[in-house]
Formats: sequence, structure tokens, C-alpha cells
Amino acid sequence: MANNTMTALDAVKGGLWTEVPVLRLILGMCPTLAVTAAVKPALTMGLSVLFVLVCSNIVVSLMRNLLKPHLRILMFTLTIATFVTIADLFLRAFTPQMSEVLGPYVPLIIVNCIIIARAEACASKNGIFVSAVDGIFMGIGFTIVLCILASIREVLAVGTICDIPVMWESFVPWAAMRMPVGAFITLGLMLGFVNFLTAKKS
Amino acid sequence: MLKIIGEYIEKSWLLIVSSFFFGLLLALANTAWSGKIEQNKIDKLNGLMGSLIADASKFELVLKDAQVNTGKGKITKSDIYRATTSDGNTAGFCFRAEGAGFADKIELVIAVDSAFNKIMGYSVLASNETPGFGDRITGDYFRRQFMGAPVGTLNLLKKGDDTKVDNDIIAISGATVSSTAVVNIFNNFLEQIRRQVSEKGLLSNGK
Repeated sequence: MANNTMTALDAVKGGLWTEVPVLRLILGMCPTLAVTAAVKPALTMGLSVLFVLVCSNIVVSLMRNLLKPHLRILMFTLTIATFVTIADLFLRAFTPQMSEVLGPYVPLIIVNCIIIARAEACASKNGIFVSAVDGIFMGIGFTIVLCILASIREVLAVGTICDIPVMWESFVPWAAMRMPVGAFITLGLMLGFVNFLTAKKS
Repeated sequence: MLKIIGEYIEKSWLLIVSSFFFGLLLALANTAWSGKIEQNKIDKLNGLMGSLIADASKFELVLKDAQVNTGKGKITKSDIYRATTSDGNTAGFCFRAEGAGFADKIELVIAVDSAFNKIMGYSVLASNETPGFGDRITGDYFRRQFMGAPVGTLNLLKKGDDTKVDNDIIAISGATVSSTAVVNIFNNFLEQIRRQVSEKGLLSNGK
């Protein structure tokens, strides 16, 4: 998949199923575990990663013929850090409450393995169009997984989805689901389910 | 020499050009949004201070960078605001205070009355305490106990009457560390801020 002959269709399939960062490549675990206690922060994180992925993939693709081996990682990090800082400034300016909820996890996108992996595996070897499509669908795949994980946790932890009550009145919230233990258990079950599906197929 | 310089430039020109370009991009983004970010901070602080001193019509900064010793030689700076009513009377003082919590730093906005004798309340500006346990420092049960408490050393008790307004604060069940952290913040800041406000001649009988 990660070679010069990658097509836009490969990028779409990869992002949405065969290479879903969290469930298939086990990348981007830090935000996956840290910001999925509720749907809104998870969605914001997913969209921030999507923005950074698309922008960094386009820029890396533009400079791919100029990259020298000794500068490769340095240039990737510089590019990613720039777009993460822009995303962080944007959140602080326009959604200050969400920016506070996400705390250090927005600046930490800089060290998110998904972005550097896509820069290395796709953008540095493919044209702008394929790289942009790869960024969009990898970002969408990541956002969907984050939102599913966050929905399960939010429903069980407080009985709501996006702050809208969805459980019956006598429902007793599971406080543990808001804590790291809830993230590990839910993610483990999701990984198990995906492995079960893929094992069955093969 | 020129050959070596040329070699270095050849190897790193992309990095130099990119750094310039990205720096420009960041400068543009910062210029465009820094005003709004600052305004958001001011709005949040004003909102919290307004909720603590309902009579206040405006808040003015009366003492900038007041130094507070938070123990172990660590000095923290805090801005002190005077709340004024619509008829010009002093309704109280507000200041930002901080200290170590269970998981991370806890930042509070504390309000006291115009004579600096009674605590009017506090709001949590930032905290990362454990959901369901330590984060209850933002809840009414704990915050209510500080309202009307005298300015002085506060004591944290595990059990007691939480409705009684005095120096004794009853800890949140299951969150003793977070409760202690809040009480320590009060004990660190109240006395030192009162002294500095008093030295500045800002304390008066409501005027």
C-alpha cells in the first residue's frame, strides 16, 4: 500500500478500513485514550488531526523531490508543528472552552505517529492529490473511531451523547468510564471486535 | 571557507527557506487571533469574578504581579482586582491563586469582601482533577463551605457539619488530596494577599 503506485481509491479504502490508524495500525493511542471521555472533545480532536494531516501531507508532497535523507524527519516535524500550532491558536481563539478541555493534547498532535507515518508512507512518495485524499480519509477514519469510542464512554459514564440525555432516568452512571480505565476497556473491546471481523474474513 | 559555506547552504537551504515560510505563517495566524485569545481570557476571568461578586458592576486591576510565596521558596505572581458597585463603593477583591492538585496544577479565582475579612467564594479557573472525585471541587457542596468563612487559616476536616460557616472545611469524600490542595491554596494566598492589599492602602470600610 505504501508505495509510489498508490491511488486515490487506495487512500480512501486505507483511511476508512484497511489502515484505520487506531484500530488497524494501533497509532495515535495518546489522544485516543485521553480525549474520548465525551463526544465533543473527541470530535474536535479528530477534526484538528484531520486538518493537520491534510495540510502536512500536501506540503510534504510538494517538497518530496527536494527532501534529502538527513533532513527528512526534521522537515516533517517542522511542517507538522506549524500546522498544529495554527490549529491550537484557532481553537484558543474560537472555541476557548474546548481548547481548555483538550489541554495539552492539541500541542501533542505534533508527536502523533499517524501524521508522521502518513508523511513518510504516502506524502513523500505521491502527488498532491493522492496525498490530500490520504490525509482526508485517514483523518475521517481517525475521527470516526474517536467518536464511536467517546459515544460509548459518554453514554455509560453520564448517560448522554453530546450532552443530550439518552438513557432512562434511573440509569446509574459508571464513573469508571470517564477515567482512563474506561478508555482502555472500551478500546480493548473495539480492537477485539475488529480483529474478530478481520479474522473471520480471512 | 566559501566552499564549506556553500556546502552547508546546499545541504540546508530547504530547511532555511521552510523555516522562514512557516515562521511567517505562524506570525500571520498569531497576529490575526492573538487579540481574540486575550479577550477570551479577560472575558473568562471577568465572568468568574462577576459570578462571585454579584453586586460588582466593574473590576479594575489594582495590584499587578503581587508576589506570593507558595512554599519551598517558590514565588507565584497574582493580579488583584477591585470590584466596584455602580455607585462607586468597593464590593470586594478578587485574585487568581494556584497550587498543586492531585493530577495537575489547580487555578482558582478567589473573592473576598471589601474589608478583606470574609471569603465571598471561589471558582475554578483550571484543574485536571480526577473525574467523579477530585473534580467535585467545582461543585456546590465544597464551594459553599468557603462562602462567608473568615479570612485566616482554614482547617480541613474529614467529618463535620458542612453547613456551619467557619474556618473548618469538610473534605470531599474520596477526594482528600484535591480538598487539601484547595484549602492549602487559600492558606497560602489569603494572608499574603491581604498584607499586600493593606500595605497599598486599598482596604477601606466599603469606600
